Amino acid sequence: MKITHKTFLTFLVIFLASCSSVSMDRTNDATAISASASGAYSDSGLTSQNILYFAYDKSDVNSEGRAKIRSLAKVIKDNDLSVRVEGHCDERGTREYNLALGEQRAKTVAELLIINGVPSAKVSTVSYGEEKPAVSGSNENSWSKNRRALVKTFK
Amino acid sequence: MKPKNFILIPLILIFLPSLYSQLRIEIKGGLDDPISIAVVPMQWSLQSKQDVFIHQIIRKDLESFGEFDVIPPKNMLSLPTTREEVFYKDWRLLGSDYLVIGNIIQSDNEIDLKVSFTIFDVTRERVIHRGTVIGPKDSLRRVGHKVSDVIYEKIQGIPGIFSTQIAYIDKPSAFDPNYNLMISDIDGYESLSLFSSPQPLMSPSWSPDKENIAYVSFEEGTSRIFIQKLSDAERIGIKLEEGINSSPNWSPNGNKLSAVLSKTGNPDVFTYDLESSSWSQLTKHFGIDTEPDWSPNSRKILFTSNRSGTPQIYEVNVRTKRIKRITFEGTYNARGRYLPDGENIVFVHRTQGIFHIATQNLKTGKLRILTDTSLDESPTVSPNGNVIIYATKNGDKDILAGITLDGKTKFIMPSMKGEAREPSWSPLID
Repeated sequence: MKITHKTFLTFLVIFLASCSSVSMDRTNDATAISASASGAYSDSGLTSQNILYFAYDKSDVNSEGRAKIRSLAKVIKDNDLSVRVEGHCDERGTREYNLALGEQRAKTVAELLIINGVPSAKVSTVSYGEEKPAVSGSNENSWSKNRRALVKTFK
Repeated sequence: MKPKNFILIPLILIFLPSLYSQLRIEIKGGLDDPISIAVVPMQWSLQSKQDVFIHQIIRKDLESFGEFDVIPPKNMLSLPTTREEVFYKDWRLLGSDYLVIGNIIQSDNEIDLKVSFTIFDVTRERVIHRGTVIGPKDSLRRVGHKVSDVIYEKIQGIPGIFSTQIAYIDKPSAFDPNYNLMISDIDGYESLSLFSSPQPLMSPSWSPDKENIAYVSFEEGTSRIFIQKLSDAERIGIKLEEGINSSPNWSPNGNKLSAVLSKTGNPDVFTYDLESSSWSQLTKHFGIDTEPDWSPNSRKILFTSNRSGTPQIYEVNVRTKRIKRITFEGTYNARGRYLPDGENIVFVHRTQGIFHIATQNLKTGKLRILTDTSLDESPTVSPNGNVIIYATKNGDKDILAGITLDGKTKFIMPSMKGEAREPSWSPLID
């Protein structure tokens, strides 16, 4: 992944404070930088066959999901593909806890792929927690679409 | 008073590049018996014009958290700028408990100005403080915050927080496709993007010396903890481990981070020594352990674990690694943060499916729900321990809101554009 850093300077004044006589110092400049990571994210390009959905606060895959994983595993093996599984959560609960929950989801799917014959060296996982919802909206309809694992394959 | 508004607004538009979202405090509620204070317009003896007025900044600051009722100049019977011009009777008639007067002069150098001010106790008819604040002429707003801090401390007996800042994450929006790590003053002005990325940014945390911010960035395709210096471009990614690298939080002396790694197969709490660049494992459990926060005395770390079956808050002794469960009420208690006293914590508590901010006393175990909004998360405590700012929703929009620890004053910090989340309050700097 290529990162380019653009830098530009902007002033940030930091204070030196004392009780009755205060003097402010402007020697500290805060610097802003940015990353332009390639491969901007989307669920697009994935068919429903590559997306597994989960119950709230759960990371187990139902029988329908297991069937999906079996057929995915076959395609992956037949075409000698590598796979990256992304775990996602809905917005409820704390962000860092959801990051952990998303990893459990990704790992559950990864393990099922491996059980179905995909070489473990070809499987990686990442959790995005609740940071990359598929759809916005604070309701069950949106939440159910966001509790998901994406199976992304590549050569 | 009124004519100032049209001067103020264009300046804001000029000074803030459109990329930067801005937060504004809007107060709802307040104390029933606020302290009444009069802040008289200060005498201005510089050549240049004032772009903002110090007494107005002080007024807004002092009214921020509902503790003060600031008497507007139009109600004042006199506008003294020297002690000789002060007649206590004028201020008693207005019901004013305190009075602040002052003058602003050019400092010895070209860039600075000097505010000299006096705080009077009207009831006791005496001066309680004379102070000066020196600061850059083009930073009147921040000079005003500094004066507010002194007034607050002299009257309330605890440090003022008007010169502190909030770091937060601004999520992609119609205005900006990137995630931004932002900082701004707590009144929402002077906002600035420190880092911008098309991939998620999370969990900003200030170093205790206020010189660095640690945060999580997904720019490399996976979560990684970075430390960014505020003063220059220096930005380091700390030693990457397989799996989750998240939840950085500084030790009180600034030598270490507590953080979460899942390299052992599941998320556990680790500490990272910034000197030796090495990780060491603190908790070990097959469940989720996450969201560490270092206690003010350095001895313990608060964390969330689902080891009991639901997320609950625990405390681990850093030296002995002994673990104690802290929360028992309800089935979701997470992301605890110590209050500065080290005796109380604030965290996310779910009750009847709704996520609120709650506090709990570590000795008595008494839990108190603080907020009445929903989907509340990421509470951060003011360094004087009086106020909490947290992330919540306004419709589908991510906003920051605040509440005083006594629960009496609530405010929202709506961003003018963009959406703010994961607030982190800066330390007070000495």
